[in-house]
Amino acid sequence: MFTTFFSFEVRYWMRRLMVYVFLAVVTFLVYLATSSDNVQIGGGVDNTFRNAPFVIQNFYAAMSFVMLLMTTAFVNSAATRDFTQDTAGIVFSTPIRKTDYLLGRFLGSVVVAVVPILGVSLGIVLASLIAGAGDPERYTAYNFFAHLNSILVFAVPNTFLIGAIIFAIAIWTRSTIASFVGALALLIGYSLAGGLLQDLDNQTLAMMIDPFGINTYNLVTKYWTASDKNNLSVGLTGWMLANRLLWVGIGTIFLAVSVWRFTFTERTKRGKAKDEEVLSQNYARIPSVQLTDTAATNLSRFWSEVKINFRTIVKSTVFVVIALFAIIDVMVTLYHSTGEGYGISSLPVTYRIIHLLVGSSSLFLIAIITFFSGAMIWREREAKFDEVYDALPFPTWVSFCAKFAALMGIVAILLALDILCGVAFQSLKGFHNFQLGLYARDFFLFQLLFFGFWAILAMLSHTIAPNKYVGYFIFVVVFMVNAFMANYFEFESKMLRFASFANYTYSDFYGIAPYFSQVFWFGLYWFLFCGLLAAITALMWQRGRETHYKNRFRQSFRNFRGTIRNVGIAFLLGFLCIAGWVYYNTLVVNKVEARPERQKKAADYERQFKQYENLPQPRIVDVKYNIELFPERRDLVMRGEEILQNKTDKPIDNVHLNLAVNFETDIELERAALEMNDERLNYRIYTLSPALQPNETIKLNFTVKYSNRGFENDLSQEQIMPNGTFFNSTIAPQIGYQPGTELQERNDRRRQGLPEKELMPRLERDCTTNCMNTYISNNSDWVNVETVISTAADQTAIAPGSLVREWTENGRRYFHYRLDHKALNFYSFLSARYEVAREIVNGVNLEVYYHKGHEWNVPKMMNALRRTYEYATANFGEYKHKQLRIIEFPRVGSFAQAFPGSMPYSESIGFIANLETPDAIDMATYIVAHEIGHQWWAHQVCGANMQGATSLSETLAQYTALMVMEKEYGRDMMRKFLQYEADAYLRGRGGELMKEQPLQTVEADQGYIHYNKGSLVMYYLKEMIGEDKVNAALREIIRNHAYKDAPYPTSYVLTDALRGQTPPEFQYLLKDLFEDITLFANRTIEASAKKRNDGRFDVTIKVLTQKLKADEKGLEQEVPIDDFIEIGAFAAPESSKRYGKTLHRERVKINKPENVFTFTVDELPEKAGIDPFALLVDRQPDDNLKSVSEQ
Amino acid sequence: MELRIENLSKTYSNGVKALDDVSLTIPTGMFGLLGPNGAGKSTLMRTLATLQDADSGTAILGDLDVLRQKHEVRKILGYLPQEFGVYQKVSAIEMLDHLALLKGVRDGRERKQLVEALLNRVNLYQHRKKALSGFSGGMKQRFGIAQALIGDPRLIIVDEPTAGLDPSERNRFYNLLAEIGENVIVILSTHIVEDVKELCTNMAIINNGRVLYAGAPAAALETLSGKIWRRQIGKGEIEDYQQQFRVISSKLVAGQPIIRIFSPIPPGDGFRAVEPDLEDVFFAQITDSQSNERDEEES
Repeated sequence: MFTTFFSFEVRYWMRRLMVYVFLAVVTFLVYLATSSDNVQIGGGVDNTFRNAPFVIQNFYAAMSFVMLLMTTAFVNSAATRDFTQDTAGIVFSTPIRKTDYLLGRFLGSVVVAVVPILGVSLGIVLASLIAGAGDPERYTAYNFFAHLNSILVFAVPNTFLIGAIIFAIAIWTRSTIASFVGALALLIGYSLAGGLLQDLDNQTLAMMIDPFGINTYNLVTKYWTASDKNNLSVGLTGWMLANRLLWVGIGTIFLAVSVWRFTFTERTKRGKAKDEEVLSQNYARIPSVQLTDTAATNLSRFWSEVKINFRTIVKSTVFVVIALFAIIDVMVTLYHSTGEGYGISSLPVTYRIIHLLVGSSSLFLIAIITFFSGAMIWREREAKFDEVYDALPFPTWVSFCAKFAALMGIVAILLALDILCGVAFQSLKGFHNFQLGLYARDFFLFQLLFFGFWAILAMLSHTIAPNKYVGYFIFVVVFMVNAFMANYFEFESKMLRFASFANYTYSDFYGIAPYFSQVFWFGLYWFLFCGLLAAITALMWQRGRETHYKNRFRQSFRNFRGTIRNVGIAFLLGFLCIAGWVYYNTLVVNKVEARPERQKKAADYERQFKQYENLPQPRIVDVKYNIELFPERRDLVMRGEEILQNKTDKPIDNVHLNLAVNFETDIELERAALEMNDERLNYRIYTLSPALQPNETIKLNFTVKYSNRGFENDLSQEQIMPNGTFFNSTIAPQIGYQPGTELQERNDRRRQGLPEKELMPRLERDCTTNCMNTYISNNSDWVNVETVISTAADQTAIAPGSLVREWTENGRRYFHYRLDHKALNFYSFLSARYEVAREIVNGVNLEVYYHKGHEWNVPKMMNALRRTYEYATANFGEYKHKQLRIIEFPRVGSFAQAFPGSMPYSESIGFIANLETPDAIDMATYIVAHEIGHQWWAHQVCGANMQGATSLSETLAQYTALMVMEKEYGRDMMRKFLQYEADAYLRGRGGELMKEQPLQTVEADQGYIHYNKGSLVMYYLKEMIGEDKVNAALREIIRNHAYKDAPYPTSYVLTDALRGQTPPEFQYLLKDLFEDITLFANRTIEASAKKRNDGRFDVTIKVLTQKLKADEKGLEQEVPIDDFIEIGAFAAPESSKRYGKTLHRERVKINKPENVFTFTVDELPEKAGIDPFALLVDRQPDDNLKSVSEQ
Repeated sequence: MELRIENLSKTYSNGVKALDDVSLTIPTGMFGLLGPNGAGKSTLMRTLATLQDADSGTAILGDLDVLRQKHEVRKILGYLPQEFGVYQKVSAIEMLDHLALLKGVRDGRERKQLVEALLNRVNLYQHRKKALSGFSGGMKQRFGIAQALIGDPRLIIVDEPTAGLDPSERNRFYNLLAEIGENVIVILSTHIVEDVKELCTNMAIINNGRVLYAGAPAAALETLSGKIWRRQIGKGEIEDYQQQFRVISSKLVAGQPIIRIFSPIPPGDGFRAVEPDLEDVFFAQITDSQSNERDEEES
């Protein structure tokens, strides 16, 4: 019997188109995603092979969402078919066993539901065969086990789980909608697990509660290197197996319960209203009424229609379900809204909440619009009420407008609910600056418009479609085409991206002012376009039973008169005018440069001018700026006078200049004639006559202008803002070929036919000719700078150095700054309406410039300024400038950067960090300390442009920050920070595109090495040899190299100095930490405690230790161990705390893989183990500690 | 006021000729439109109810061009389509109120009185707060009638209105129609001959999109007077009779076939003369048109 039902089910589906359509869709999607960089599913395809096992598994994992829909379709149909097709009576009256019937149906449909997913394998194999033939270096050999494992890990268990839950719900409720609710619930489980991932502590839980195993997969593979990704696949082992067993088990329970509860008896239907009365002899007179047909009547009709449509949507199950999930999702999203990394959270400022709300609500709103636009347009016809309705004497627009308005009413209600959630969340967090106006405009109004535009498109789709399903299909296709094609064809004009108008970066500094005209005009552009679509919809509106297109068009044509014609023509003319205006502004006055063109320019730049890279050029020695900033109209004029000097020993007869893109530059160079001017690539060559002799100087005068004209497609100049301008000295003409302009990304380079990007010059000892430039600048050394900068009367402008004079003239404010000491030629200029917090320590001004209202963390920053200044001057060397400024800038960027004496710091980090959370890492202090560290490490000692350069600046700035943090929060608390550094490093090396370098030869763009690994290395070294020794080495570096001219120091300077301070027994560390890539795999396998007679505890731990060295591709090899490693134990944390008291901390020498240690502690520890403070780089950091069992 | 239909033709995209040069003049009063299923009745009704366009021809109601001045026609139209459904979760009174407003009854108090009177009239008043989707077939039909009467329509089109009603309800419905139909045009389409006989002062028979007969029912009967004959025949003999006579209908009475034939002269052979009824007119016209078609095809 079972086989009968099973094979019936399989054959039933195999005869149907659905399986093949789904299979084709999946195959096609995966084929595109594999073979093209422009289509992505799940994670991107970067340095791994396009068909690497990791990629295959990623696709299978990502397809779980698609699976959710497909499986629901198959299984729900199998479960409810006999009820919906009224065959239940026939089938159930035959003598069958319910187990056979149900399991046959279920397994049959599940087996069929697996088929479309196999399209992933099909797509990848096809891509390797077809696309791989043309691009063989990006494809690897066919890996059978990767496919098999993916099917076993994702395809089969997920289909089974989804199927079981849907099937159970479907046979229990016999309702399609309930089944889709079940499917949505699974999605919530997934997103919950995703939220938990934010914090390292919750990862075990996240691995188990994800019903699809996607987060499990991500966590298991999170530290995989390129080599791992290309060769390994995750099978049913470890956490993966545990997760799969759990969820298949849950699925089985659902199935078992549903089979057990199932009965063949039919449920009694709800009775129809009893009707004893009949049409009576009731000859009540029907009163005569007055029929009106005025505009007022139409308005009443419209309202009545809106109400009745609105009510039917609100009362529908689909709406209730979607709305419910939308609200749950918003709450989950808000709850998990941590940001900024390091496991810390930001204050719930309104723009962040809005960002989260947009992210959470969009999917649901699009779902609502898609579904209900169809439901409403076909409502009368589906209810067979259309003949009555359509013969009533109301104008067609009433019907169309009312349905649209009802739909918008629904959207508005959901948006309002979202806002309510956002405000509630803010007040829950004790944050009371609600900015309701911002919610109203940026969220409510803009989202309402955006979805209104889509709703009109959806209604048009249904209006021209011959039936509802074609209507849905048209809309979804248009939606997809709009989303994908823009990427595919790489056009960037918003005039071609439907409903795209509100792309801007809000900031408390300027609101959306600089973006306003762009938002307004694009908004109007799409508004009028949609008005036109609406007019077409109203004209094409199906009224009556005329379905033949020829007749409908004729009818529409005939209806094209009166109001509708006037409105339509008005929209058309308005649209054409605005289109012209938008076109004129964005494409004539300003330019939209598509990515391919930008890349082509960069490639041409490299091809044409790379030959000049090492050409001797004069160097800047002195700079005077005269800057006029007009914030209110976003204009800037920068005049500069540079003294250039020939620092070589040969005459120089050419000067090469790079001009800033988007700026107008005028050049006046002494004794020079313009020899070549490439306006497309902004490159000029001047000939000097006579040539510039060694040590001789000439003057370069330039004017750099930016005038904001009209409005742009996207704001190209986010540096110059009405309030919160921040630009740096690189907008001045740059002398000599600039390698920074070259295309960086590997695949972009390949597409442009460029060779692999050259790495930095190899690290060399005692280098001279290769060390003549710092890694920051190739055309200057230490320079003097003087600036006069003027701005609006209510703003403060800041330039490098001490303020010499400040005055007001012609209603503008002028500031005159001068550097007190030579510095790198790399400065920032800022202007905004600032508040200032100021403190003077040892004659140095410590200042925090901030936007009014952002006071939250200013005291912390001030404290960090003082503490870091004190630490660095005491331990590294003198500070030569007279001010240390933290200057807030708008969130167009989210970084902090150190310039000589001033450190611009984005409003979106630190300034809004929420430091109230217990045990949170103090992000504000950390970043300030890092940037101040740069005042020594980069701005006094700057590495030569050579591998390892950033270890002298970034790594030592990290070290500075760590030491300040340690003084502030204590040594034992450093582990939380170190854990995150280790996590970032391990993830970073997994994503490495080229070669992982040891710290000593780190490339300038390998942030995960110089920041994250650098922190671990320096802190570990400090733990081993002591802070004094490390600082003695650093002092020596400052003494020997601060402000010295070329040749510039290399990373050998650092390792040599440290080596000099390191005692013999720790010398091995310098090789392990700086010259090699060293990792550990430490694990505690047993931990027990025994109470002693004196009340204390003897703790015994058994630990495994493995030391590994990795090569540049991540291939690891075990090496013998002979290292000092810590062991220790912690007490249970107090409630609401994350970390328990340290009970024991001891350094031991380990020289064999397995060791047992015993130590005595005062109280019963919660956890004990090896490397408890996460000082080492550990492949699997979370198994170092084990819960202690008491004997 | 009268409705003049001239040379109305309509061919569907699948090639079916639903209306073929239909010309009718419909005066005030009840007008019956008789025809078998698929004859083109509903197409004609929908065309007159502004829901469909004709390929050619005109329909003039008073001084309104029905095919062009749809909006004006809709104001004076009451229409009960052959099949009609209702919305989920909307009560009868809400729906009727809404429809009245759409019809143009803007004044709220007037509308309330009207809606209540209509619901009373069709005996749905006590069910007015129930959801329409819970109504039985008869109740739905009565609701349909109520909505068709909103706003004193001058042209009422009812397409197969008695389909869901039991005989007593049907009678009452006709009474209602007859009462209203005194001063307005009521077009009643049906395939039940009885209905027309009881109610209509004028009628038309259409089949295959063509008007086979138009005129008063009495006049139609007149033409057949003395020409209809019936007899009982044996099972299996029908084919023989069809060869010899123009058989216009056959039905079983107590298990035995009884046929009626059209013959201007007494056919003898056990046939007895009977008084013609409208059903005979109907079938005679249809069989006539069919034999004409056959002739055309043969010739």
